[in-house]
Amino acid sequence: MLQYLIILLDETSTSFCHYENANQERKLMPLDVLKEGVRFGMMENLMIQFVYPDYELPQAYQEVVESIDHSKIKPYGQEDADVLIVNGFQKVKADVPVVLRITKQELFVHQEEIAVMLGDVPRLNVVLTDVEAFAEADFETYKKVLAGLSSEVEKLYVDGKSPQLNLLTDRMMLSQMNNCGAGDTSITLAPNGKFYVCPAFYYENEADSIGDLEHGLGIKNKQLYKLEYAPICRHCDAWQCKRCVWLNCKTTLEVNTPSHEQCVVAHLERNASRELLRSIRQHGTFLPEREEIKEIDYLDPFDKRDTWQ
Amino acid sequence: MNSHELLLLYNSFVHLIMSGLKGLQGEWHEEASKNITFIVTKDCQLACKYCYLVGKNTKERMSWKTAKQAVDYILSCEKDMTEDSVIFDFIGGEPFLEISLIDRICDYLKMRMYELNHHWFNSYRFSFTTNGLNYDSPKVQQFIAKNDHHLSIVITIDGNKLKHNLNRIYKKDGKGSYDDVVKNIPLWLEQFPEFGTKVTISSADIPYIKESVLHLFGLGIHEVNINVVFENVWKEGDDKRFEEQLMQLADAIIDGGFYEDYVCSFYSENIGKPLDLVLENQNWCGAGMMLSIDALGNFYPCTRFAAYSLRSKKPIIIGNVRDGIDKNKLRPFLTLDRTTQSRQECIDCEVASGCAWCQGENYDAADTNTIYQRATAICKMHKARVRANNYYWNKLYRKLELEGMREEFEKSKPKSNDVIC
Repeated sequence: MLQYLIILLDETSTSFCHYENANQERKLMPLDVLKEGVRFGMMENLMIQFVYPDYELPQAYQEVVESIDHSKIKPYGQEDADVLIVNGFQKVKADVPVVLRITKQELFVHQEEIAVMLGDVPRLNVVLTDVEAFAEADFETYKKVLAGLSSEVEKLYVDGKSPQLNLLTDRMMLSQMNNCGAGDTSITLAPNGKFYVCPAFYYENEADSIGDLEHGLGIKNKQLYKLEYAPICRHCDAWQCKRCVWLNCKTTLEVNTPSHEQCVVAHLERNASRELLRSIRQHGTFLPEREEIKEIDYLDPFDKRDTWQ
Repeated sequence: MNSHELLLLYNSFVHLIMSGLKGLQGEWHEEASKNITFIVTKDCQLACKYCYLVGKNTKERMSWKTAKQAVDYILSCEKDMTEDSVIFDFIGGEPFLEISLIDRICDYLKMRMYELNHHWFNSYRFSFTTNGLNYDSPKVQQFIAKNDHHLSIVITIDGNKLKHNLNRIYKKDGKGSYDDVVKNIPLWLEQFPEFGTKVTISSADIPYIKESVLHLFGLGIHEVNINVVFENVWKEGDDKRFEEQLMQLADAIIDGGFYEDYVCSFYSENIGKPLDLVLENQNWCGAGMMLSIDALGNFYPCTRFAAYSLRSKKPIIIGNVRDGIDKNKLRPFLTLDRTTQSRQECIDCEVASGCAWCQGENYDAADTNTIYQRATAICKMHKARVRANNYYWNKLYRKLELEGMREEFEKSKPKSNDVIC
C-alpha cells in the first residue's frame, strides 16, 4: 500500500541513496507542480518527504512545504532538516539522523572515524554507493569492518548509550522485512511533474515514468515491487536489506531480483547483527522480545533455491 | 606440420576414436543435459508466415573465430556446467546453410572435449531442426555419416501440401516449399526412423490440422509434435474450430487404429488438471538453463531473447564470448516459478496442466521489461485442446476396454515428447 510520496524539489536535489545525481544546473520544480504534488499527497493520504537542493528555497516554496505534514531531507550543512545527507566521507555531528553516502573503499579506510561518529549522531545510515562493484575480496574486508564497528557499538551499549547504525542495529530491532519499498509503499514526484518508482529511475531515464499529476499513477506490473513477488527476497531473513529495486534492475534487469553482491552484502550485515545481538546480551537483558537471529550456512539465498519448495 | 594440418590429423584421430566407440557410447542423459545453441546464421531460404524470427537477415553469419571462442569459453566452464550430458543445438535461420562451419565447430568440440577429458566427451549430441531443403546435399550427408550416433535431426514438415504451403513459402518468390521437403523425408526416415517432426499451428492452419497429421502418419512419420503459436494471433471462434479439428482427428486416430504405432502430441494424459501451488510450481520453460550464442558472440538465456526474435523489446544479453556469462543476469531466470509470473486466473485454473508458455514471448508481450508476466494468448486454445483431449482418452480407453486390450496398450503405448518451441 502506498504510504510515502518523495518530492524532488529541484533537478539538483541531493541523492540520499545508491544512485548519483550528477545534475549541476539548478532548476526548481515549478511552483504549481509543487502545489499539485502536495495536493495529491493529501488526497492519497501520503506522508511527504521533500528532497532539497543545496540552496535555500524561495519563500513561496517554503510556504507550500509547510502547508502539509512532512519530513525534510537536506544536504549536510543546512538548517531545519529531518535527515541530513553527507556525500563522500567527512566527520559530522548532528542532532538528526545522518545518511553517509560513501564507497566501499571509503568505508574500509574510515571505519574507525565512522565508529566515533556513532556517538555524535542519533542515527547513522551508511549507504554504499558501489554495492554492485563488490568482489570476493571486498566481501572479506567488509566482514572484518562490520566486526570492528560491531565492537564499538557494543561498547557504546555497555556504556548505556543506544547508537543506531543501519548496517548493524536495524536487523536486531526488526521482526520482518523492512525494505526501501519503492514502487510499493513509496513513489517519487520529479520536477517535471511526473511520477517515478524512485529518484534513481528519474535520473537514469526520464522517460521511465509511472504516471503524472494530470492522469494519476499507472504502475505497470506493480505486483513485482511487492515482497511476495520477489522469489529470492521472500525466502530471505536479511530484513534490514534495502532491497533496492533500482540496483536490481541495473544488475539483473528485473525489479524483483537482487544481484549476488546485494545479497551477500546484506547477509554479511545480517550475520554481524547476529553476533552483535549475542554479544550485547552477554552484558544483560537486551531486546527480550526479539528472538535470536538464526545461524545460517549461506550468504546468498539464491544458492539455496533448491530447498525453497 | 602447420596448425591446419595438425587439426586435420586430430580430426581423423577423434573420428577414429568415435567410430571405434560405436555401441560403447557414454551414457546419455536426456533429462540432465545442458542445451547450448549456436545461432550460426540468421538467413533462411524460407519466409514462413508464422515464424517468430522477425529479424532474419543474410548478414549475421557466425564466423569461425567467434564459434571457436564460444567453444573455448563453454568448455572452460566445466565447474559451472555440471549437467551429465550436452546437446549442442545449431539453429538459424536454416542451420544447414552453414554446414561447413557447423562441421568445423563439431570437430573442434570433439577434439577439445577429448583433450580436456571433459565429462561431456562421448555424452553429447548435435541437434538440428531444419527445413529439410538441402538435407540430401553431399555436405550434409557427409556430416551425418561422420557424426553417426551423436545426432538428432528433425525436419519440419507442416502437414499436407495445402497446409505446408500455406505458411512455409520461399523467401525469393513466395512459392510453397512442400515438394522440395517431402522428397527428402524417405532418406531422413531411413537415417532417423525414431525421430518425429514438428508442426506449428497458427490461426489460418486450423482447418487443415486433421488432414495434415494423418498425412504425416501416411508419410511414415510416427511422432508428430505439434503446438499452437504463443503469439496473440488468435481470432474469435478459433478455439471452437480448433476443438472440432482435434475431435475429428481423435476419431480418425482411434477408428483407424493409428494409436498403436503413432503419436500426436496434442493428446496427452497429463494435461488439463489443476496444479498444486507448491509441488507443481516449476517454470515451464528452460530459458536460463540453456545458453545461446549469436554471430556477434553474445550470449542469451535462450534464442528467443536475441534481437532477431523480438518484436518490441530489447534483447536480453547475458554475456559474451570474451567476458563470459554475467551470472546476475541469469538469476531472474533461475528463480522464476509458475505462480510468481501467473495471473490469479491461471493460478486458479482447473485445467492448468499442460498449458505452456514461452519465456521469450512472455517478455516480448509484457507491459514492462520483465520476464515475470505470463502471456495468456493461448488460454482459449489450451482449453479447447483439453476438451478434445478428454474426449480422445475417454473414447480410446472405452474402445480398448471393450476389446480387452487396455492393459496391453498401457504397457506398450507409444510415448511422445511435449515439444513446445
